[in-house]
Amino acid sequence: MKILIPVDGSANALRAVEHVIQSVAELKETPQLLLLNVQWNVAKANVKLFINQQTMDDYYREQGMAALESARALLDAAVLPYRYHISIGTPAEAIAQYAREQQVDEIIMGRQGQGGVKALLLGSVINKVLHLVTIPVVLIG
Amino acid sequence: MLEMLSTSQFWFDVSKIIVIDLLLSGDNAVVIALACRNLPEAQRKKGIMYGVGGAIGLRIVLTFFAVSLLSLPYLKLVGALLLLWIGIKLILPEEEHGEGSIKAEAHLWGAIKTIIIADFVMSLDNVLGVAAAAHGSVMLLVFGLLVSIPMIAWSSQLVLKLIDRFAFIIYAGGALLGYVAGEMLIGEALFKPMLEGRLYLYWLVPVMCAVFVLAMGWWLAMRKASVVRAIDLVDGRVPAKLDAEL
Repeated sequence: MKILIPVDGSANALRAVEHVIQSVAELKETPQLLLLNVQWNVAKANVKLFINQQTMDDYYREQGMAALESARALLDAAVLPYRYHISIGTPAEAIAQYAREQQVDEIIMGRQGQGGVKALLLGSVINKVLHLVTIPVVLIG
Repeated sequence: MLEMLSTSQFWFDVSKIIVIDLLLSGDNAVVIALACRNLPEAQRKKGIMYGVGGAIGLRIVLTFFAVSLLSLPYLKLVGALLLLWIGIKLILPEEEHGEGSIKAEAHLWGAIKTIIIADFVMSLDNVLGVAAAAHGSVMLLVFGLLVSIPMIAWSSQLVLKLIDRFAFIIYAGGALLGYVAGEMLIGEALFKPMLEGRLYLYWLVPVMCAVFVLAMGWWLAMRKASVVRAIDLVDGRVPAKLDAEL
């Protein structure tokens, strides 16, 4: 069983990781865990004229590794094997793409706490993911 | 001056300027942050500070130049054509994740040079858009400048997120740039004789220009690959530990 946990460094994402760690004991076989962080593609055409790809990738890598850090620490502490991945793009689309490519069985996400105007204006990654994938998505509140 | 505030035309212009600033300012902050990345820690803050300061100064100078330049014959025509192109470019999807040949600057002045040159190029879009929307009103120009300055200093993914949520923002922005391009075209002294007695042209031309930008943007976007793929950057693996290690 392959489980994908999208991680953005927030407490919401950590709740999902904690949930997985707790439920691993109940599963017959240890699931394959995949952590994914998506970095927004901030480099528009204009930026590319002045900043080289190497610098941009270093920046994404640094941000991505920082976002993954706390989730990795939890899994390391629980001595669970896992894979981690950083993609560049739009979060929901990138999550769906990675889930498809890796033939993931299930996505586990932490529910986003944001509400009100922010949610209305910015929408939620979860909503979009739900529309993009055909596999079960588990939300941890 | 105060009665200006009560006209709908004024508020329409103000909102045009805010939207143009929002859509055409975001890149500066990204370039400033990234250009200073390769500097030693101690110089990074300095680089960002000088970079932001220089960029703001340049933006102010460019804006006032743009206004006086635009009063020259033919330049409104050129400006309008440029704006049409900027609008189309806004709608087009991003290019591929390609390997560039730009070298990263590891020195303070190198980084600042990159920032200033980048700002010059990027500000042209913004300044032209704002100048067109301001119709020569100094108050609106200064307002446009004030709105854009925080955007030079602070990068935010807010605009990216808004566009992701409401894809039509891009099209609305493109149409708006087309519209102000049309207004600028109408303002070209060259066309004055043609406009006489044809008041309808004052709204028809801007609307036609907006439609033109949308149509061109759509057409060119259709010809490109429609799905933008996420790029894989890092793939790591933490294997199961052997029992002996525990």
